[in-house]
Amino acid sequence: MKLEELLFNTYGFTSFRPGQREVISQILEGGDVIALLPTGMGKSMCYQLPAHRLPGSVLIVSPLLSLMQDQVAQLKKMGEKSVVAINSFVKQAEREKIWDNLASYRFIFISPEMLVQPFVKNQLQRIRISLLVADEAHCISQWGFDFRPDYLRIAEILPVLGNPQVLALTATATKKVTDEIMAYLKLKDPYVYTHPMDRKNIAYDIKRFEKPNDKIEWLKSFVQEFEGPGIIYAGTRKKSQEITELLLEMGLRAAYYHGGMEHQDRIFVQQQFQNGELEWVCSTNAFGMGVHIADIRHVIHFQLPTSIEGYVQEVGRAGRDGEPALATLLYASGDEMLMESLVMDELPNRHEIEVVAGNSQESKRLVEEGIVRETAYRVISYWLSQMTAEETVARIDMIRQEKIRQIDKMKKLVNLAGCIREYLVGCFDQEVRDKPVNCCVNDGLNYEVFEKKKQKYQKSELDNWQNRLNALLPLG
Amino acid sequence: MLFEELVISIMKAVNLERTVSSPFHLIKGKKSGQTIQDIGYYRLHPYFAVMPKLDKNAYDEVIQSLFARNLLRPNEQVIDLSEAALGMKIPPSKLNGWKYRGNEILFLNRLSLIVQTLSHTSQSVYSFDPVHNAVDLQAWVKEYLVRIDFRDPGIAGRFKKELHDSLGAANVAEENKMMLMQRLTGLRLSGLTWEQIAAGKGLHTLDVQLEVIETLHAWLEVLESGDFPLFSPLLNGVVQRSSLTESAERTDKLFKQGLSLDEIAAVRQLKTSTIEDHFVELAMNDPAFDYTVFIPQDLFRSITKISAQRNTKRLRDIKEMLPQASYFQIRLALAVKEDIS
Ligand SMILES: [Zn+2]
Repeated sequence: MKLEELLFNTYGFTSFRPGQREVISQILEGGDVIALLPTGMGKSMCYQLPAHRLPGSVLIVSPLLSLMQDQVAQLKKMGEKSVVAINSFVKQAEREKIWDNLASYRFIFISPEMLVQPFVKNQLQRIRISLLVADEAHCISQWGFDFRPDYLRIAEILPVLGNPQVLALTATATKKVTDEIMAYLKLKDPYVYTHPMDRKNIAYDIKRFEKPNDKIEWLKSFVQEFEGPGIIYAGTRKKSQEITELLLEMGLRAAYYHGGMEHQDRIFVQQQFQNGELEWVCSTNAFGMGVHIADIRHVIHFQLPTSIEGYVQEVGRAGRDGEPALATLLYASGDEMLMESLVMDELPNRHEIEVVAGNSQESKRLVEEGIVRETAYRVISYWLSQMTAEETVARIDMIRQEKIRQIDKMKKLVNLAGCIREYLVGCFDQEVRDKPVNCCVNDGLNYEVFEKKKQKYQKSELDNWQNRLNALLPLG
Repeated sequence: MLFEELVISIMKAVNLERTVSSPFHLIKGKKSGQTIQDIGYYRLHPYFAVMPKLDKNAYDEVIQSLFARNLLRPNEQVIDLSEAALGMKIPPSKLNGWKYRGNEILFLNRLSLIVQTLSHTSQSVYSFDPVHNAVDLQAWVKEYLVRIDFRDPGIAGRFKKELHDSLGAANVAEENKMMLMQRLTGLRLSGLTWEQIAAGKGLHTLDVQLEVIETLHAWLEVLESGDFPLFSPLLNGVVQRSSLTESAERTDKLFKQGLSLDEIAAVRQLKTSTIEDHFVELAMNDPAFDYTVFIPQDLFRSITKISAQRNTKRLRDIKEMLPQASYFQIRLALAVKEDIS
């Protein structure tokens, strides 16, 4: 059967999206693959379709719980029934059931920390895994903006599973990160698919201000002149709430979204955004993962992102429909200092490393008593399991140097005189071909396409519960 | 009932006898001996576990506001309500926390998945993002829907009618039913966040959350009549069969098998103080509980008499008057006394 035929028979789609065909055929030929595909480009199809041809199960290692839940939901929505997610939130009784039927699942999602547990390893060893998928594979990179020590341990599980084929998926990776993925997962001569990073329909803008408060004033006039839907990345929870309040006061349809909210409320905000009831969502970087909205016109960064990779990933949520979208980065003097101290504070310091190394028995107490921060502890204990304390200090120092390089790249971006597009794409070792007319602020921007069309939004007013019930269930 | 009214209702009952944080534990449904025992002493059953996720900071803000408005008088030790607070008229509430124990959320979660599914399928849309991702909840709803043959438009219509009639019969304000309805979603109809509902009403989010819980309790009471057959399965596991906590129930079983307090503690590998808590709970709930195993008749009478004369339920006050009684005996006597009076 041809791949197109398989695609149609399985999911009812008539054609592949860019990159999918190449990746899928390489997997079916038995090789390892690294695929750099932007989010929203149908990454998951790259393992979904092969799963229908391969003899065993597909094991997908997914670093974020929310992401995993979303992927499972999306797969089920596409009609896949044989899907299971194994993470620390699965209850014991449910787990028993999963182990009993493990071989029968076509798709097994698992979190990295579950993957390395001896019991789980034994269970996985019993069944046939045809393909291991490392999702968000850039998390493997110790230099990356999203390093997760647990992720490095995928390499340990491969021989246990009889060295299945590997598919490493990521939306953002420089050449350096790709090399690291290759080395850590011990991929032999993998096929590397790199989708062009450049999104022609996204135009780049940077606004520079003297004082942080000037950003608010700018935003006030911006939202009156221009039209959503848009995401405003606010940096902190508090800021996202403040901005939302401001927009609501102006009579705009806005809501905030952050990790501190009740799960159900977060779902409701997503629904509202998806149903076109909201024009602006103000968020911390939590927003976007499970959101599949094609017509986002604006991504506004109220604060400097901590890396180019993170920035590009967030900007990439705009204009999935191919229509013009605008990415606006707001910068006030001093922002880079704030960002720098934020990033540097996150790293384990020498003192923490030495304390953990000297008290390996009492590590739990160190975290509880606040002597060592939990995130720092996880990173330190990983490296200490691999090398001596002195080497760990040196290693963390190297990571610090790399972070400084990343920060410098961001600093360079906000002070850039040349083309922003060329600069961003260059950070991923790629080149811009066919620069679009509406490219970036430094090449001159035409804002007209983003102006308000003066369409009045009609909100259906349901004034009592019986009416709302009738709207929910319009029956008889 | 508004959140502040809830707090004041509890405070009125325990005024001058408990700390300002005790209502917090009660509202959250803390299963400690102290909290469980207070429920019996002070008749606080309606308010137990009505907001299991209540945030301490949010609660403290409300307390600060009570102090600021002189509804609470400064007192380092105990709740000290002012005359104004004591005189506050609080409308009767439909809350029934002791019975539902936070399980009303299970009912709501089932309902919201069912309504979302019926909303889509009855309009010929067969694929959507479910509002709940929990595997067990989804499995339950799927099984339920298949069992009632949900694709039959007649069934969907009947479900809607049962929903309409039973909620219509619930004895709470109509606007509170709307708040509950706003937490349900359907095709092209999003849910509203607590904050959005609150902003629309000019209320605090805690008020809206509590009103929805109260509406659920009132509604469940209607549904328990059994007159709404399609809704009956939704009550499974929501209505507490026994009013005891599970652990106390196990202690009760062993006690009835003839084991002593110490033996039960040994068998269950729990502290004797924990088992004592269970007996206090049993005494409160079982009118036939035989306290004489633990307290001689005359000591029992002395404890209840002092409590009544001095109008106090503070253990230390009673212990001072009756040093021969153990704290456990005092607690037990007070628990029993409430139920036979
Ligand atoms: Zn440019």
